[in-house]
Amino acid sequence: MCLGIPGRIVELRNDDGFAKGLVDFGGVRREVCLEYVSDQVALGDYVIVHVGFAISKVDEVEARRTFEVLREMSLLDELEWIADPIDPDSLAPSSADVHPLPS
Amino acid sequence: MKYLTEYRDAAIARALIDRIRSRATRPWTLMEVCGGQTHTIVRQGLDQLLDGVVEMIHGPGCPVCVTPLEQIEKALLLAARPDVIFTSFGDMLRVPGSDCDLQQVRSRGGAVRVVYSPLDALEMARRNPHKEVVFFAVGFETTAPANAMAVWRARELGVRNFSVLVSHVTVPPAITAILEAPDNRVQGFLAAGHVCAVMGWSEYEPLAERYRVPIVVTGFEPTDILEGMLMAVEQLESGRHEVENQYVRSVRREGTVPARERVEAVFELADRNWRGIGKIPMSGLRLREEFAEFDAERKFGVEGITVDEPTECRAGDVLIGRLKPPKCSAFATRCTPEHPLGALMVSTEGACAAYYNLARHRLGEPQGVTV
Repeated sequence: MCLGIPGRIVELRNDDGFAKGLVDFGGVRREVCLEYVSDQVALGDYVIVHVGFAISKVDEVEARRTFEVLREMSLLDELEWIADPIDPDSLAPSSADVHPLPS
Repeated sequence: MKYLTEYRDAAIARALIDRIRSRATRPWTLMEVCGGQTHTIVRQGLDQLLDGVVEMIHGPGCPVCVTPLEQIEKALLLAARPDVIFTSFGDMLRVPGSDCDLQQVRSRGGAVRVVYSPLDALEMARRNPHKEVVFFAVGFETTAPANAMAVWRARELGVRNFSVLVSHVTVPPAITAILEAPDNRVQGFLAAGHVCAVMGWSEYEPLAERYRVPIVVTGFEPTDILEGMLMAVEQLESGRHEVENQYVRSVRREGTVPARERVEAVFELADRNWRGIGKIPMSGLRLREEFAEFDAERKFGVEGITVDEPTECRAGDVLIGRLKPPKCSAFATRCTPEHPLGALMVSTEGACAAYYNLARHRLGEPQGVTV
């Protein structure tokens, strides 16, 4: 939970003034809170995400490199949870295939 | 160079190792704080590649590992309540309590749900208005902004059936406790890059000054760690003790200001127990009084619970660098990831699990391995 995962903002959303966005993590997408970086990010930017919150902006080269290193070191377990939609009736998380970050 | 061959920046890593070797005129002892860094060091064999030059002591930077047993017991009690949906990051489910873990509570019918983000738990509370949804708010400064926002948002939206079981710890008081220990051997620190991405590094400056130790803010990749080690060795060799930033591509001195501000608005400093270490003054966070209604401990009356640590697990000695995991008499025999005695064997960021998995990876042998 401590290592942030880089992803690309593919959609900006606003929930009653609460800044959110859809972020793509190598093919796995989920909604992320953008409140902490809302003054510095735009659609298409790359951000480092901790447990559903974008904490800092990074450039594309750095994002891709970091994602690859996380994959090489088997540190992408969190994507398993990222991909899991909220389903109060579901007990087991679904597994997710991990793809390279999209262009 | 056995392990580094798997790593594509191996040439850079080798050059950094050569520079550390040529710069060090004597052996130095450093501590990496972050569990992700421990994972990298053990997996890539960086400690062995610099054997006799730099000794790496693996610090207490795995949030799963330092969560005290009493908070686990409270989690187990709450999770077993029929009116509660207990939500947690996935890594906490297998942390052993006194006689079971959250996964076992779930198999006995407890409503335990893994969520990726505390906002998912909040959403679950909104969708289940007749249930109490409790989120296990653990972690260091990296998860604190998320947990703070979930509580803030719950108040904003008036979600009264949401509460958090807080077990937050912070890095600088742990560094202080390690440096204050009478048998401390740590001469320099690699601070956790992602923690500093949130918090910045200004709070480390008085520590470097007071204890005359180099502190290098460092990333988690092999070349980051080697570069951080080189920067710390350079300082030690030249008699300097400063806070330096190796992880410039992600960390600024002031950190992420809106996140820090939200953490300060929701939480205040408090004494915290660390698993295996004991109480460290002002080393954690608790909810401010104005957010008391979201405090699961108060809501369900479990504040007073205390538990004795299991005697066989030597997590405390490992967490402050007195014992390397393979030297523990229970390692890989009575304590394995499948049947852990303590949290260090559970999490991928835990030092014991990192050594265990490395041994398994190398020998292809799941049981009874030695390192």
